[in-house]
Amino acid sequence: MPLDVDVEVRRGERTIAVAFAVADGETVALVGRNGAGKTTALEAIAGIAGASGHVVLDGRSLMDQPPERRGIGVAFQDGMLFPKLSVLENVAFPLRAAGTGRDRARDRAREVLGELAPTVDPNARPGTLSGGERQRVALARALAAEPKVLLLDEPFAAVDAEAKPELRSLLRRTLASFEGPRILVTHDPVEAMTLADRLVLLEDGRVTQTGTPDDVRHRPATRYAAEFVGTNLFEGELVPDEEGVGILRTGGGELTVVWPEHLVVAPVADVRATLSPAEIALHREEPHGSPRNIFRGAVEEVATVGGRARIRLRTVPPLVAELTTGSVDRLGIAPGHEVWASCKAVEIRLMVPGDEPDTL
Amino acid sequence: MQRRLPLSFIILGTIGAAFVALPVIGLVLRAPWGRILEILTGPGASIALRLSLEVSLLATLCAVVFGVPLAWILARGTFRGRAILRALVILPLVLPPVVAGVGLLQALGRRGIVGGWLERIAGIQLTFTTAGAVVAATFVSIPLVVLSAEAGFRSVDPRFERAAAVLGAKPGYTLRRVILPMVAPQLVAGAVLAWARALGEFGATITFAGNLEGRTQTLPLAVFQTLQTDQEGAIALSLVLVILSICVLVALRNRITGTG
Repeated sequence: MPLDVDVEVRRGERTIAVAFAVADGETVALVGRNGAGKTTALEAIAGIAGASGHVVLDGRSLMDQPPERRGIGVAFQDGMLFPKLSVLENVAFPLRAAGTGRDRARDRAREVLGELAPTVDPNARPGTLSGGERQRVALARALAAEPKVLLLDEPFAAVDAEAKPELRSLLRRTLASFEGPRILVTHDPVEAMTLADRLVLLEDGRVTQTGTPDDVRHRPATRYAAEFVGTNLFEGELVPDEEGVGILRTGGGELTVVWPEHLVVAPVADVRATLSPAEIALHREEPHGSPRNIFRGAVEEVATVGGRARIRLRTVPPLVAELTTGSVDRLGIAPGHEVWASCKAVEIRLMVPGDEPDTL
Repeated sequence: MQRRLPLSFIILGTIGAAFVALPVIGLVLRAPWGRILEILTGPGASIALRLSLEVSLLATLCAVVFGVPLAWILARGTFRGRAILRALVILPLVLPPVVAGVGLLQALGRRGIVGGWLERIAGIQLTFTTAGAVVAATFVSIPLVVLSAEAGFRSVDPRFERAAAVLGAKPGYTLRRVILPMVAPQLVAGAVLAWARALGEFGATITFAGNLEGRTQTLPLAVFQTLQTDQEGAIALSLVLVILSICVLVALRNRITGTG
């Protein structure tokens, strides 16, 4: 792979050890909760973290190179535009730092700004810009010196909700036209799933899963991975029930599932199962009929994202359901309400150890 | 809504304010307004004034040139003994100036631990020279630059330095283009305070550099000497220092009143 990262960084008591690779023209999203080590991993690649291990770009080790010689362009979280330099000077900064003459650097900066931030006044101070404009300028600054690797650190963190769609499409175009390896650091599933070819999930300083968004969606390796891609994940012992049916006994609650055809009818430990939130139906009255799984519990949280609502339920086991906002209104679902949730046994996908290749 | 203050506080506060204001009022009331121009343009006064400006500005320059890098080291360094170094740098602020003068004599005087060597090798003598007055004024004013600049450097998010490094800037370039412009207000404030301190410096100067007219006799020394023979002359010279001090207050008004 053109960019091969295997680094270890000590941060006081904890160690962050991250390994992954990125191909040319590939966008990898480095995702994880706050404090999982995403930014540290990025700093290790950029050469400002004091890491051990190796970072190899096009077969050449970067570990003995100072940050200014690594050829890595970073658009930082919150932009990190220099407040006392104008927008133009900010974008020209990496060129000037590399020794390009003032006029040539400014010409190039104007050119990049024209592409990425045509509405921003080049002579303005960063403090007068909106979050979205700052991010555009930061992107221009990252690309001005024609880096070999592009890193975007939480590009949407300081951007208003209404400015996000436009910035997202700009980022998608920019990423697509950048030929080298591209890394996006984010904690936002929507950004990661819409912009990245591959996800690298970080938890507590370790990579817990890598795969395409679809891989992770269908086979999340950890509870965090499942939450991230918006899937319900269960783990427990699978025991046979009536003909063709099994019960998955999790730590909290049981699920009725379809017994896998080829699996010997005997209890199996450490079985994981996923259930798409869209397959869960909600009811105000106890439902009757075919669904094998019926749970009762209070609504904990309702989060709306563009016409769809994700409803967190305090059922046993806890569930996340996804409904259209119309259904939420029609059912009158709000936090604190008691509801019934149901799903068909056939919708629960099982991952039996040894039966399928491990996703880790 | 106005909060009512206890009467005792109002009385004590008023006494405090009067105490601070009265000496200045006294100077203004007793000033020989009739012959003030004559005094100030007279040879003794104008020489002292010019020397004072020269010495205090050079001392400020030295304090900034050495104090700002020192402040950067204190703000960003992670070495052992940093707290001790900071205490040492701030010491001149609390040290009695005359003690500073005695110390400077032992260090840089003709028989001082460095001064003797300085004279033998480089032929530089500091005692009883204008350079010595600059050294004394620098010594007492450098802590003000260091304190102000260090506070400024600390207020700069270190991520800016890391960002600049990733963007290809060497540390010196980052400091010049990114960090120093961000702390410019604190540097100016530190320099102005240092200049005011240097301008008023008396004890260390007279002890280390002596009181030679035209060479080391700065305004405060001239005031002190004139006071023995000509009280009105001393008041006139003092008024010059009062006016310069008020200029400092005006220059720093935003930081003192805390408004924009």
